[in-house]
Amino acid sequence: MTGFPYRSSQPLTIGVELELQILSRIDCDLTRGADELIALIERRGHPGEVKPEITSSMIEVSTGIHERHGALLAELVAIREAVVAAADRLNLLVAGGGAHPFQHWRERQIFDRPRFRQISELYGYLAKQFTIFGQHVHVGCAEGDSALYLLHSLSRYIPHFIALAASSPYYQGVDTAFDSSRLNAVFAFPLSGRAPLVERWSDFAGYFEKMRGYGIVESMKDFYWDIRPKPEYGTIEVRVFDTPLTVEKAAALAAYVQVLSRYLLIERPGAVSEDLYHVYNYNRFQACRFGLEGNLIDPATQSHRSVREDILATAAALAVHARELEAGEALAQVERWARDGSNDARWMREVYGASQSLEEVVWQQSRLWSARD
Amino acid sequence: MMRTDLFFLPDWPPVPGQLFWVAVLLLAAIVAGEAARRWLRLPRILGYVAVGAALGPQATGVVTPTTLAELRVLVEIAVGLLLFELGQRVDLGWLRRNPWLLATSVLEAGLSFGAVFALLTLLGARPVVASTAAVLAMLTSPAVVMTVVKDLRAQGQVTERLLLLTALNTAYAVVGCALVAGWVHLERGRDILAMLAHPVYLVAGSVAAAALVALAARALLRLLGRRPVFQFAILVAIVLLTVAGAAALELSVPLALLALGIFSRALDRARHFVPLRFGETAMLFIVVLFALTGASLRFEGWGLAFATALGLVAARCAAKGVALLALARASALSVRNASLLNLGLTPMSGLALLLLQDLVRLDPRLGAEIMPSLMLAITLLAFLGPLATEFALRASGEVAPERAP
Repeated sequence: MTGFPYRSSQPLTIGVELELQILSRIDCDLTRGADELIALIERRGHPGEVKPEITSSMIEVSTGIHERHGALLAELVAIREAVVAAADRLNLLVAGGGAHPFQHWRERQIFDRPRFRQISELYGYLAKQFTIFGQHVHVGCAEGDSALYLLHSLSRYIPHFIALAASSPYYQGVDTAFDSSRLNAVFAFPLSGRAPLVERWSDFAGYFEKMRGYGIVESMKDFYWDIRPKPEYGTIEVRVFDTPLTVEKAAALAAYVQVLSRYLLIERPGAVSEDLYHVYNYNRFQACRFGLEGNLIDPATQSHRSVREDILATAAALAVHARELEAGEALAQVERWARDGSNDARWMREVYGASQSLEEVVWQQSRLWSARD
Repeated sequence: MMRTDLFFLPDWPPVPGQLFWVAVLLLAAIVAGEAARRWLRLPRILGYVAVGAALGPQATGVVTPTTLAELRVLVEIAVGLLLFELGQRVDLGWLRRNPWLLATSVLEAGLSFGAVFALLTLLGARPVVASTAAVLAMLTSPAVVMTVVKDLRAQGQVTERLLLLTALNTAYAVVGCALVAGWVHLERGRDILAMLAHPVYLVAGSVAAAALVALAARALLRLLGRRPVFQFAILVAIVLLTVAGAAALELSVPLALLALGIFSRALDRARHFVPLRFGETAMLFIVVLFALTGASLRFEGWGLAFATALGLVAARCAAKGVALLALARASALSVRNASLLNLGLTPMSGLALLLLQDLVRLDPRLGAEIMPSLMLAITLLAFLGPLATEFALRASGEVAPERAP
């Protein structure tokens, strides 16, 4: 396609973007500080990239392109150190987590950039409720058709990603009963959810042109899909992760996506069909609500099992691919989380249970993120 | 006959008591504050101060010196709450994480002292007189800064640094005043050891007293459980307890209150017991505070004193500006924000007035020499200060959007 080309990239390379919370040391609430924090980080030099996000209490950090989990983790650790050092000097806290447990969105301020202001005007209160924090994992694909194949076949595993990363049990000061309440905020947007079932890049380009012709979208950025292609990078981007509470977890989850992608692209275990999406919303809800204990229906076999059982079964098939990608350690971590049924949402509820204080939860989140004790 | 039957009727015209005039002062101040904000786009504080000045003994005299004296307890509650809240919002750990901030604080206070001392010495003041003015020039009014920050719901680097520097220079000024008081005693033949022991007693005693009250308050609140209805009343009580206790022990009331705020936060990180922000209830005290500050201002003695006052204000501002700009980059602040922070530090009123009165009580001669120009400087800054701080916070973009009603 001439109008909407897919730029090839090295298959199975990965990159990570993390949206982080900027918090006040005084009351653990979100606070403005993105511009000063970014300026200070830039001044000192750092690996990766640091960018403003929609509100001034959020920044996005991103890594370069990596082939191996180890190098990705090393870069994430270096970025974390740069961010934490700058935040210290400005008396700010930085933390992971999919949503702030008690922030009051009326107080949030939209970062002063034309695109963000436009979004804020269009979506009204949704834009401010959109103060949520996610991890995006990019996976490189050689060409558009395999990118679309990977996109659709990964959708079967979306509940794994949601349940493992879930870290937004509290929202606006209440326990939502969800492990990931963040995704509920995403679902409110008209262009959220799944990509249409097209398998050829030329068809996808046609779909995009049509949507642009309707005037519904201007760029790929206007789609808030769970997985979306990023043709200018030559990647697909998995966007359902809550930002985990540590960079170690972020790196392990990215490696899990990488290993799973290798399995899917090489073994091509199943055909892509609309069946994948018949169970999609049900499975996704279960994972958001119940986390690793959620029910997952296998679209191929119609069998039911818990998300954690499904992760353990999947991991068994991934061992050889993990070995090839030197991601054995990351896969072992994922298996351990699945076996223990432990995710960040559970940890946060435990902290709250012990302290009865959401401020304390946020404080502990930031300690965990900064890797300090 | 009629008179005895209708004994319950009042004399005509009825003579209202003090409370009536307090109510008038309060209502007029609220209306003026709102008018200042809505039509003139000025800080509300200016409205309160203006009404106080207009109704005070210096002008119409509706509020008499007796009333002023009787309302002193309200002022003490208000200043106490604001200093306590300032202490809660100040994070001394920041000085460890960003040591250049401590350097900035010491330098801005030191240069303010130096500049004002030099100016007054040049104008022929005795060293002890110049020191009095110079010590007071270090401090920024905690009440004005806290009130403007709360009113605008500001947050960000300029705001947080403004609060931190204010808390610190308030503490320096209190210690400095103790030294000047010691100097006054020295001139009357007391020994130097007492002069040096006094600040130590003030600082250590105030901090220890605050720690005791904070521990006791935490125990009490723990006993009562997390009940917001009690919390405000208990806070007022512990603030008053600290004020009364510090006064009885001849400690520093402002220092003790700042320390109380700092301890209450440090001892209760999970915020079980002491809320960070007071409700609208505290507004009452704040309005009264500034109205009474206005009523205490003096507008006499223009002329030479006025020139000195202007020079004092300018020297103080320039000194703080030099310090902030010199260390801006090192302390990770942009030049623009450092300039705004300098403006934000302008206010100097209520607390300076109280400290000055304490010193003058020690040595009336001091009062005669320094009062006219220093009073004028304080009066000037009572109006300029809130304006400057509000402008600085708005220009820094750290002000929350107007709340929908």
